[in-house]
Amino acid sequence: MRKNRNVGIVGVGQSVFSSHREEVNQPEMIHEAVVEALQMAGITMADVDCVVHGNMELFEMVHQPDLWHTIGTGAWGKETLRITTGGTTGATLVAAADHLVASGLHDIVLAIGFEKLQEGHTTGGITNMADPLWGRQLQTGALTGMTAAAIIDEFGAERARKAAMTYRILMDKHAMKNEKAHRRLGLEFDQADELAVNSPALVGELRMIHMCSQSDGACAMIFASEETAKQLCPQPAWIRDHITVHREEMFCIFGNAPVLSTHRYAAQKLFARNGITDPLSQIDVFEMYDPSSWWGIDWLREFLMLEGDAHIRMVENHDIAIEGKFPVNPSGGVIASNPIGATAMVRVAEAALQIMGKAGQHQVPKPVNQAMASGFGGTMWTVLFLLTRDIPAMG
Amino acid sequence: MDTTYADSFIVEGKLSLPYQYFAGRTGSKFIISLRDSKKILGVRCNTCNKVFVPPRSTCERCFADLTQSWVELKDTGVVTGFTVIRYEEPHQPVKPPYILGMILLDGADTPFPHIVKGVPISQMKTGLRVKAVFAKKTTSTIRDIDHFLVDESQKIEIGYTYDELEIGMAATFTKTITETDVYLFAGISGDFNPMHLNEEFAKKTPFGTRIAHGALPQCLIAPVLGMKMPGLGTVALEITTRFRAPTYFGDTITARAEVVEKIEAKRWVRMALTWTNQHGKLVAEGAALVIPPTPLS
Repeated sequence: MRKNRNVGIVGVGQSVFSSHREEVNQPEMIHEAVVEALQMAGITMADVDCVVHGNMELFEMVHQPDLWHTIGTGAWGKETLRITTGGTTGATLVAAADHLVASGLHDIVLAIGFEKLQEGHTTGGITNMADPLWGRQLQTGALTGMTAAAIIDEFGAERARKAAMTYRILMDKHAMKNEKAHRRLGLEFDQADELAVNSPALVGELRMIHMCSQSDGACAMIFASEETAKQLCPQPAWIRDHITVHREEMFCIFGNAPVLSTHRYAAQKLFARNGITDPLSQIDVFEMYDPSSWWGIDWLREFLMLEGDAHIRMVENHDIAIEGKFPVNPSGGVIASNPIGATAMVRVAEAALQIMGKAGQHQVPKPVNQAMASGFGGTMWTVLFLLTRDIPAMG
Repeated sequence: MDTTYADSFIVEGKLSLPYQYFAGRTGSKFIISLRDSKKILGVRCNTCNKVFVPPRSTCERCFADLTQSWVELKDTGVVTGFTVIRYEEPHQPVKPPYILGMILLDGADTPFPHIVKGVPISQMKTGLRVKAVFAKKTTSTIRDIDHFLVDESQKIEIGYTYDELEIGMAATFTKTITETDVYLFAGISGDFNPMHLNEEFAKKTPFGTRIAHGALPQCLIAPVLGMKMPGLGTVALEITTRFRAPTYFGDTITARAEVVEKIEAKRWVRMALTWTNQHGKLVAEGAALVIPPTPLS
């Protein structure tokens, strides 16, 4: 991607994620994240040129929430933009903020993703998004057992189920290191067999324990031009590149013909134009949008362009653990915390914290020079980010 | 482009989407105060010198923490803006039409929306002073203030405006004509004609007894036109009367005016007039041309 100028992430703020945030209303919850991001960047709202705001349409039943939220966002009197692209909203907000700064329009941009899922009716909102004549009966949101069925088909029930539970427990162990995560269950590996049987079934092999949470929470990030970022921050997380890939149909009308997933397509393109030939060695940490542990496993294969059972082995060998060879979601990931409009932003934010060395308890114990973060949304959308420790070369 | 829609399906849909709202600690304290002590609380930002109502936990300008700087406000204020809700939806708090005003409480710097009552829609204007009326039954919402009532002392009543009048609208005034009325009317008008005042003289007239002045029942139309239909603010341009029967002492006369024509070019209204007695007998009939009241600025 050709850029006018480099953009650095200089501030990250997150509210506490929880199933219920009854003690705060929407602008108050957002305010927590905004204040934290400003503090990290060492600036005040007076320094911010533009505020980009996003969440999921319909999820809180509030029309144009950005107007109300001005009370908490600090956007009073500033240029603002509201963006919603479904599950990818958070990552699209980052993409938009990057463009706003890279283009030269603004020097400092604040992006805010939020959701208070407990206030609304998520499935009602999701069900309303498909064509009412042809597609609506197919819409179940992210609740799908198809990937589980496909993995079991390919690798056998025992190995597949075990891998899904291993992935899940690894993510919980990561979440236990992240004080802001919503679900911190304290799971141990010896509980895997029992959970795989006793957790309530949702769809087919997809059980409650595999599935992501429904959270209240907000994330705020501050983006600055190269010159400004260098002044503000000893180690910004630089945005090297990002790509957005869509496809609309969920099922092939000609049957289950193999189709290239948006994840793999996005990775191919992004790797090719950034000289990444061996992602496992060239990328130090991956914050992946993983709506369920079944998708988590499967998408490792897609994003890292793995063949055969390499992705299953990565899970079995705990390569994806925080101290492993290729740490995935040291934050605990989406399975732990899922305030939807913020979720994809949290992936990029967490990747940025790893580059900046500010992830605290869940900082991976090795140098992080390059991090990858993904966003996922309906029906089949991918946003993929590459962040670096070194200032990207201008192409 | 062909835009006919024959053979095109319309897929009907209906969504019922329940939701809730977390008021938060600050918003909840505001509601609890309304509910339990009928007091309206706001918060003051001492940096920006502004009082926010309803309260918010931080100042949107300077981000100061306002959760400890509560102030109690009066229950009176002024309407800074308003709209009239005329469409009807199930979610509305009251049945339309109703007035939704922006209420700036005395001592506050931010107005908030609420229902305004106590003033006809045609006379609603910004700047009216209002007072909170608390709900008899609490709902733990902003509706624990049921509405804001317009201060009576500012109310200026007017009758029906040209736009409010419709053909067929009518009003009456009824009064019994007594001997006292006739004697007073003689004094007022100087008409001491013996047929109204001298019983012995009157016995020799075709009526056989004293009768009231014709203008006496006729003037009973004045309270109808001027105070009822169209009402206060009306200017009478022309009144014609044809007398049909006498009014005897003790008769009860009903004067009636009905809108029969709206003259758009002039925005005048023509009224049909009748006077009837207690037996239903037509005493007089006529017509009036009036200028209905215009809304006050």
